[in-house]
Amino acid sequence: MTFLQPFLLWGLPLILVPVIIHLINRLRHKPQPWAAMMFLLQATRASTSHAKLRQWLVLLFRTLAVLALILFIARPLAGGWLGWTLSPAPDVIVIVLDRSASMESRLAGQTVTKREQAVKLLAEAAREFQDKSHLVLLDSATRIPQQLANAKSLLEPTLTGPTDTAADLPTLLQLAHNWLVENRAGAAELWLASDLQRSNWLPDDERWKSVTAQLAKLPQRVRVRLLAFDDDREPNISATLAEVFRRARPDGAELSLALDLARNATNGTARFPLALTLNGVKSQAELDMDGAALRWRYKADLGAAKGLGWGALELPADANARDNAAYFVFGSDSAVRAAVVSDQPALIRNVQLAALAPATRQPAELLTPAAFLERAATDAALLLWHAPLPDAAGERRLRGFIEEGGVVIFLPAGQADTGKFMDLGWAEAPSAPADKPFKITRWEQQEGPLAKTDEGLSLPLGDLEITRRAAITGDATALAAFADGSPLLTRRALGRGQFLFLATVPHDDWSTLGDGSVLVPMLQRLLQTGARRLNQETMAACGELSALDRAKQWISTDGTIGKNVALQAGVYRSGERLLAVNRPAAEDERALLTADSARNLLAPLPLQLLQERAARTDALQGEIWRLFLFGMLVFLFFEAWLVLPPKRAAVTDPLTAPSARERELIDVT
Amino acid sequence: MAEEKPHSFLDPVVLAQLAHLPLMSRFAMEGSVSGHHKSPHRGSSVEFAEYRSYVPGDDLRRLDWRVLGRTDRYYMKEFEADTNLRCCLVLDASASMGFAGKLGPSKFAFARQLAGTLAYLAVQQGDAAGLYCVGEKTPPELPPRRNPAHLQEILNTIDDLEPNGPTTILRALHDLAEKIRRRALVIVFSDFFCELEPLLGCLQHLRFQKHDLAVFHLLDRMEMEFKFDRPLRFQDLESPFSLVTEPAMVRDEYLRAFDAHRARLRQACLEFNADYREVVTDQAPGQVLAGFLTERAQQVGAH
Repeated sequence: MTFLQPFLLWGLPLILVPVIIHLINRLRHKPQPWAAMMFLLQATRASTSHAKLRQWLVLLFRTLAVLALILFIARPLAGGWLGWTLSPAPDVIVIVLDRSASMESRLAGQTVTKREQAVKLLAEAAREFQDKSHLVLLDSATRIPQQLANAKSLLEPTLTGPTDTAADLPTLLQLAHNWLVENRAGAAELWLASDLQRSNWLPDDERWKSVTAQLAKLPQRVRVRLLAFDDDREPNISATLAEVFRRARPDGAELSLALDLARNATNGTARFPLALTLNGVKSQAELDMDGAALRWRYKADLGAAKGLGWGALELPADANARDNAAYFVFGSDSAVRAAVVSDQPALIRNVQLAALAPATRQPAELLTPAAFLERAATDAALLLWHAPLPDAAGERRLRGFIEEGGVVIFLPAGQADTGKFMDLGWAEAPSAPADKPFKITRWEQQEGPLAKTDEGLSLPLGDLEITRRAAITGDATALAAFADGSPLLTRRALGRGQFLFLATVPHDDWSTLGDGSVLVPMLQRLLQTGARRLNQETMAACGELSALDRAKQWISTDGTIGKNVALQAGVYRSGERLLAVNRPAAEDERALLTADSARNLLAPLPLQLLQERAARTDALQGEIWRLFLFGMLVFLFFEAWLVLPPKRAAVTDPLTAPSARERELIDVT
Repeated sequence: MAEEKPHSFLDPVVLAQLAHLPLMSRFAMEGSVSGHHKSPHRGSSVEFAEYRSYVPGDDLRRLDWRVLGRTDRYYMKEFEADTNLRCCLVLDASASMGFAGKLGPSKFAFARQLAGTLAYLAVQQGDAAGLYCVGEKTPPELPPRRNPAHLQEILNTIDDLEPNGPTTILRALHDLAEKIRRRALVIVFSDFFCELEPLLGCLQHLRFQKHDLAVFHLLDRMEMEFKFDRPLRFQDLESPFSLVTEPAMVRDEYLRAFDAHRARLRQACLEFNADYREVVTDQAPGQVLAGFLTERAQQVGAH
C-alpha cells in the first residue's frame, strides 16, 4: 500500500488518543462514598468478565476508528502488485515491457490481449507516480530506453504496440541496469510485464546471475515488480513454416510447403480454413487437426513462372492473432546444389550422382579436402564429406557452414580415422560374413531424410544389405539402426543446420546403398533442407535483422503502409530483393516459467509479484480510501452499539419507567 | 444529672402529631411497675381475668365474698396485671449508616430521629426506655428506665453519637438478647448491610427470648435505585477499599442482589413474627412513626 499523502501518517500516534482518554478517565473518576458495597462487589464479580471484554472491545473499536480515519485521509493506494510498501515514490521507474508475439494472446475469457492489459495496468499504476518519479520505458522489441513524459504515453501504439519479435529478458535487465548506471538514477523500481515464456526468459542463461547481482549491488535500492500473465488457457493454434522450396518439374515448377501447426487444446478435432497467398493471389484450404501438432504439406503449382515469388499462410483469428501467419519467399532453385569432398573419387561416384542439382541435373561437384578448405566460401547446400575428419581449422569451417543452415554428411573414409567432429567419430567395426549382410531394422519414418514419401510409402531400407560398416561413436540422434542396435545414420543439429554420420559408403564394397532407391531420396531431401542456408537472404526472424538489412528501405508487399520490418512479420521488398520476416521460432514454444522460477531468477532483488489472470482495471492499485471510510463507520457503529446500555436496563430505569418511579417496597409474597 | 439541651432531631411537630398515639407492645411484657401494658402475671387492675378455687395462702382480699355468700364456696377473683413497657432501642452507628443520598438526611440522622422520638413517647406514657448503640468503640448502653432524667440522658447520648467503624451488629444483637433478661420491646434501627444468615440468627435469638422485636430497615433512595450515568470511584464507608466501575454495566446485578437481600430479610421477619419496617430516608419521619404506632395499636386491639 502506498499513500498519496504519506506525511499524514505522522498522525498515526493519534490512535493512542482513545487509550489515553480512557486512562485519564480512569484516573479522574468522581469519588462516591458508598455504603452498600457488598452488593456492588457482588454485582461487579458477576459482570466483571463480560464488562471488561466489552470495555476492551469499545477501546479497540475506538482505536481502529481513529486508525481508519488517519489512513483514509492519507489517501492510500493499494493493489496486489504494489504491495504494502510505505517507501516513498522511487526516483525512477523503469518499465520493462515484453512486446513479444506471445504477449498478443488474449487473456482467458477476455477480448484484451496480455500486452494490452499489461500496458493498461502499467499506465494506470504509473499515473500515480508520474509527478514524483521519472518513467522510463524499455520494451523488448526496440530495446532502447525511452523517457516518458507522463503515464499516458505508455498507451501510444508506437511505443507499446504489438510486434512479432521475441523478447530476451536477461538482455533487457542488463540494459535497464546500464541505463540506471549511466543516468545515475536514485532509488529505482523495475516494473516487468511479461507472460513468463520460457524462451523469452531463458532461465538457464548464465547472464541472469550476473545481471541480478549487478542490480543488487547498485548503491541505490532497486525493487522489482513483476506483472506475470502466466495463463495460457485460451484455445490457440500457431503456424510456423517448416519448409518451403521450389522444385523443378518437367512441365514447370511446383512449390513445396510444409507448415507446422501446434495448438494448446489437445482434445477434439479442429476444422479451420487456411488461407494461402501466393504472389498476392489468395486461395483457401480446409484443414482438420486432431492432436496437439500437425505438419501440413502442400504443393502449389507455380506453372512456368520463374524468378522470385512470395506468399503467406494464414490461419483464422484465434486467441493469439500474431502467431497465425507464416510468410515466405521463394526464388529459383538453380542455386541448390551439393558438393562432395573426397580423396577417393571412385568410391563416391554413386553419391555424386545421387546428389545431383535438381534444377541443372548436374552431378554434385567433387572436391578434395584440401581444395575445399582453400576455397573462401561455398555455395553448396549439402556437403558430403568422405575423407578423414577435418582438423581444427577444417572443423571451424564446417561448423560455420552448418550453423548457417547447411547440411553435412560424413561418410567413413575406410582407413582408421581417430579424428573427431563435435565429439562424434568412427570406430573400427568388423565386416559382415559374406552370406549374412547387416540389415536395417528401424528407421525414422515420420520426418527427416528417411521419412515416408508424400504418397505414404516407406523407403526400402529393409532391403539394403550392408557388408561393411564403421561404428559411429558419440552422442547423436539415430535416424536408422541395424538389428544389433548400432546406428546406420545419426543426426545432430547445430545452429540452423545439421550434420549426419553414415555408417557405410554407397559402394558395392560396402553396401547396396549405392543402388539409389534409398540414397537418392535421402540426399535430395537433405539438399532441400540445406537450401535453408541459401534462403538466409530471403527469410529472417523478426527482430533479428542484420544491421545492414535494417538500414535499407523496406516496403511491405501486401501494400500496408507503416509496417516496420524490424517489428512486424510480413513480406517486404527493397528494390529487387524480397524478404520474408517471420516471428522467431522460439515464440511458438509454449512452455512457460512458473512464478516460483521467475522469483528464483530475480532472487537477489526485492520482488513483488502479481499473477494477472483476468482483466481487472484496478488490479495493480487503486485508491482505497472508501474502504477505510467504510471501515471507520463500521468501527464507530460497533463502538456505539457496545456502549449502548442494555435493553433490559432501559426498561427498569427508575427515572424513565413510570412504575419504577414509585419504587419503594418490593413485593415478597 | 443530665444536662438539658435542645435536640435538633426531636421535632415538636412530630411529637405533637404522635402524642395521642400509644406505643403498644404486641405481646405481654414484664415490667417493673404497673402500666398500660399486658403482663403475663395476674394482678390488681380493674380488668377481670378469671375465677379460680381458693388455695390456702391466697390473699383473702381477693376472695369473692358474693359467691361465698351465695354458694358457700371459696373462689378467688383474679384480675389482669398491667405493667409498664421496657423499650430497648438498638441504634446501629456503623459508618455505613452515615450514608446520605441526594434527597433526605443520612440514614443515621433518620434513625436518630426515630429512636429519639420513640424514647420520648415511651417515657411520656410512663414506660421505660433504654438505648443500646452498636458501633466501633465501646458504645454507650443505657438500660431501660422510666424517669425523665434518663430520657434526657438517652437523648444526649443519641445526639453525641456519630456513625463510625464497621458493622458489628451481629455480635451486638446476640449480646443484647442475653443481656435483656425480661420480656421487652426491642426496636432495631439499622441498614443491615451485613451477611444475612448470621443476621437472621440474631433476630431469631431475640425472638426466642420472647422479646417483641421491631426492625427498622433504613435505606437511601440512591442505594435502592443505583442510578448513575458515568463511571465512578465507589469508596467504601467502612473500609479504605474503593472500586471504580461503570454503574450502567453492574446496575442489573447490583439491584438483583440488593432486592434479594431486602426480600429475604422481610420474609424472615414475617416468619419470626418480628415487626419489619422498611424506611427510606426521603420519607417523613412523622408518617413513618405514625404508621408504626397505629399498626401496632390495631394489632393489640385485635388480640
